[in-house]
Amino acid sequence: MTTHFIAAEIDLQESPVQLQQAIDAELQKRGEPLRWSIASVDAETQKAQVEAIVTVADDSTALA
Amino acid sequence: MNRRPYTVLLIVPTGVGASIGGYAGDALPVARAIAQICDRLIAHPNVLNGAQLYWNLPNAFYVEGYGLDKFASGCWGLRPVHQNRVGLILDQGIEPDLRLRQLQAADAARATLGLNLTDYVVTDAPLQVELRTSASGASWGTIQNPDSLLRAAEVLIKQAKAEAIAVVARFPDDTDSQALQQYRHGQGVDPLAGAEAVISHLVVRTFKIPCAHAPALTPLPLDPDISPRSAAEEIGYTFLPCVLVGLSRAPHFITSKCDRPQQSDVWAEQVDAVVVPANACGGSALLSLSQLPVQIIAVEENYTQMQVPPEKLGIKALRVNSYLEALGVLVAHRAGISIDALSPALSSLRCLS
Repeated sequence: MTTHFIAAEIDLQESPVQLQQAIDAELQKRGEPLRWSIASVDAETQKAQVEAIVTVADDSTALA
Repeated sequence: MNRRPYTVLLIVPTGVGASIGGYAGDALPVARAIAQICDRLIAHPNVLNGAQLYWNLPNAFYVEGYGLDKFASGCWGLRPVHQNRVGLILDQGIEPDLRLRQLQAADAARATLGLNLTDYVVTDAPLQVELRTSASGASWGTIQNPDSLLRAAEVLIKQAKAEAIAVVARFPDDTDSQALQQYRHGQGVDPLAGAEAVISHLVVRTFKIPCAHAPALTPLPLDPDISPRSAAEEIGYTFLPCVLVGLSRAPHFITSKCDRPQQSDVWAEQVDAVVVPANACGGSALLSLSQLPVQIIAVEENYTQMQVPPEKLGIKALRVNSYLEALGVLVAHRAGISIDALSPALSSLRCLS
């Protein structure tokens, strides 16, 4: 397993829970989300800047 | 009397430079005050840990951030316990003298506080923590050998029957860095906090048991101008005592609603109020709880590096200036008193058209 820091820009959604789902879906493209938060919101572009750590599995990650 | 226990969640996000709670356990007085006026306080290690300092709050739930997010989303519940067997993981990258300091802290917690610890495990490789600061100014971090961490946790859980995991990882000494100097003087962002959260999140996500982290660092040169907010980390060789105390009574996670329910179990829908810094409302837990009938109290005075006020995300929150004001709101909310009735201007009712 490896850990990676990523930044992503997510379109604001109609509700907080929809935004949460959109963030999760975007992060899933890059790995398994471990920790994330919205760092800022641009009202003009209607986008949220998200910072996150994701993990990516590799072949040697199996636990004993 | 069949009264619903009044339950408050106190969040001070980790590694974002919160002016209250961004340093060495300096949100603990807030937690102590809130614990006095609620039945159950749920908070996380960043709020309750003060290195060698801690405070026993009998009605507080010590819940690590990953578990807190799962709890808030309704996926996991919390089950209070009388005690946990705490397993200790030491990073192989810790030098012998520094390792001994950690072990002495663990033994002291056993002998002086009566905590129940298992034998310890040293990781089979150095964890190699790397720190970074994001564009927003928040501290983050990665570890090079997460599998080694998880293998050590597995040994403690399976062989030693540990019910909670304390991790001590060797963090880089960067004594001359501007970030560290600012932090020691009560300014800026804790450069270690983001990486600490990554370590504990990994263990909680994988094993679904309580976990918290304390960094191993060489002692810093004496500085006469240390901020009181950072001073708790200047008074000893290890930050482990608060972690062991917190974990010793941390609630277990209920990861399935099919699990036989107990009366003391707590689920997200039982949370009555959440207190959070007003410009740091972009965390997963708050987004989840904003969908429930929870009173969200946003504290303006607790400034952070984040730029996420509740309104920008469509979260309905009551803004207050200070934690003192938040305490008043909580008291009124618990008593069923509209806060409008406490101000001199109270408008008349209008007819809905």
